[in-house]
Amino acid sequence: MNKIVETEKESRQILDQTNKEISELKRDAPKKIALMREDILQKATERRESALAEAEKTGVEEAKRIALESKKQLDSISQIPSAKRRQAVDRAIELLLS
Amino acid sequence: MSDGLDKLVEDIVRESRTRAEEIRKTGLAQIEDRLAEARAEATREADQITRNLRTECEAVVNRQVSQEKQKARLAYLAEKNRVLNDVMKDVRARLLEFCRNDSSYRPFLLKSIAQGIDATPSDRVKVALSEKDIRRYKGTKLLANALSTMHTTKMAVLSDEPVETTGGAVVASEDDKVRVDCTLEARLELMKPQLLSEISKILFVS
Repeated sequence: MNKIVETEKESRQILDQTNKEISELKRDAPKKIALMREDILQKATERRESALAEAEKTGVEEAKRIALESKKQLDSISQIPSAKRRQAVDRAIELLLS
Repeated sequence: MSDGLDKLVEDIVRESRTRAEEIRKTGLAQIEDRLAEARAEATREADQITRNLRTECEAVVNRQVSQEKQKARLAYLAEKNRVLNDVMKDVRARLLEFCRNDSSYRPFLLKSIAQGIDATPSDRVKVALSEKDIRRYKGTKLLANALSTMHTTKMAVLSDEPVETTGGAVVASEDDKVRVDCTLEARLELMKPQLLSEISKILFVS
């Protein structure tokens, strides 16, 4: 009879132990979920930041190219041949006095 | 008796282990479900970040490109304006030269006076010239010559009051109610858009 009582006590302990383990796992689950979520979003954020930095670099390169083209264009305006300027003045005078 | 008791003990232990295993399985499955759900949600959010990324990157590039283009456009327009202003200065200088040369200036002045007289709705008109032109043409038949090119019965007198101008004339009705400005400055102002467009065509259209 004692053995049966002992065994039932032991089996209750087994169940209690299992319930305790599962309760602990459930208690830890939100923390685990938060860490996993943070890890996934952190990786996405890092990908985003790296892509944005790359885009920034591309933008800077493109802006440099435009600035260079603009400088060439400005130089070409500043260096208009004097014959062309004379031609423009002649045309303006012609229109004014006609 | 002892065998029966041992079997009973074994059954109790087996049953409790089986029950414990079920509790463990159910508990672990619930935890796994919650993890999977949270993982799916976080992955959806991460995917959204990735989906928005292309638009964000394009915006970053476009912002820098459009800022630089705007800067380049403003610099181009400023330089173009500077060149146009320089050319207009040359035009004014050439007009001064033109006015100093009587053989080319006098026909122009006659035409300006005739145009002014024609446009003034009055039979008697006053013609005002620059101080320099008054000195140069007073006593000459400037107004008579201008009137003779028009076949008109209008009368014109030379005003003693000079006008500030490089060349040309201001014609006014006798009562001063109507004034027709035929000076070079007025003509320059009136024709400025056309002149700038013509000059631009010659200088900037390649």
